[in-house]
Amino acid sequence: MWTFLGSDVMFFGAFIATYLVYRGRSLNGPYPSEILNIPVTSVSTFVLLMSSLAMVLGLYYLREGQKNKATLWILVVVLLGSVFMGFQFVEFREFAHEGLTPRTNIFGTTFFILTGIHGAHVTIGVIWMAFLAYSSHRGKLRADNSLDLEIAGLYWHFVDIVWIVIFTVIYLISANDGPPPGAELLHG
Amino acid sequence: MANLWQKLTYHRGNGWWNLPHTASQEPDPPFEGPIGGAWLSNIWRTITHGGVSHAGPGFYWLVGLFLGVITLLEVWLFNLQGLGGLYIPILLGLSALKFVGVVAFFMHLRFDGRLFTYIFTASMGIGIGMFTLVLLLQQFGNQVR
Repeated sequence: MWTFLGSDVMFFGAFIATYLVYRGRSLNGPYPSEILNIPVTSVSTFVLLMSSLAMVLGLYYLREGQKNKATLWILVVVLLGSVFMGFQFVEFREFAHEGLTPRTNIFGTTFFILTGIHGAHVTIGVIWMAFLAYSSHRGKLRADNSLDLEIAGLYWHFVDIVWIVIFTVIYLISANDGPPPGAELLHG
Repeated sequence: MANLWQKLTYHRGNGWWNLPHTASQEPDPPFEGPIGGAWLSNIWRTITHGGVSHAGPGFYWLVGLFLGVITLLEVWLFNLQGLGGLYIPILLGLSALKFVGVVAFFMHLRFDGRLFTYIFTASMGIGIGMFTLVLLLQQFGNQVR
């Protein structure tokens, strides 16, 4: 899993670098300053961070042999992951409503590819956790094979740390980006 | 320098990171402590571990609280005007703190096998190097034009 995460670091690194290279180069709107909603994304970031906490608590209780508590916390991970996906779905729909799609401008392309790939990772993680919650409930996931949950947990925490970087780079740092100098000349 | 490196990366550190004396193949260290000397680690152990031999729920709740507070601080800084050139470095610093918090304590990297630490940090290094190279090439290309 660590090797996979190492490769995924480079995978996301390439997309984040691409976003930064093209940052502030969209010649037509909507621009980040017109469309990004920091308060809402802060809540979804907090939700994802808390899902990591739930994950580590689930692993702790599984190792302690407390099946019900372990199942409960793994279900909390599934719930919080689903809430995060819900936030992302609403955000994407809102952006499309405002006229920002992957084809609109370079900001739209780089934004949707990066956050979309991250969202796909979260979706895979939620499905994985749902299976593990079921296994824990059925008693098939126990302290002696808790490594299965630990490996899934590593994946989940990784998804969380990638979002920490995305939230800072795309949302907090780029939120005030408007049109580049001279863009208004192109539109008369 | 070698001593500092050992404190930061080895399981036998027990310096201001207060690492446990565990072999790398042992999954559960006896104590996952934060920074601080023996006096702070004893207080921390009492608060977070409640007598159990390794990290308990209290410890994880505190790490979660720390991550939540940093996120709040980031949003507060976003709404705060007048930081100028310090804004981005401060945000990147806070983001790095959260990153390290999750990797070190939730992912247990600091207490896992050294090989995993090397694999992950080497990938991070390559990723950041690639990232920097792309940005430098972009800057260089602009100057040539």
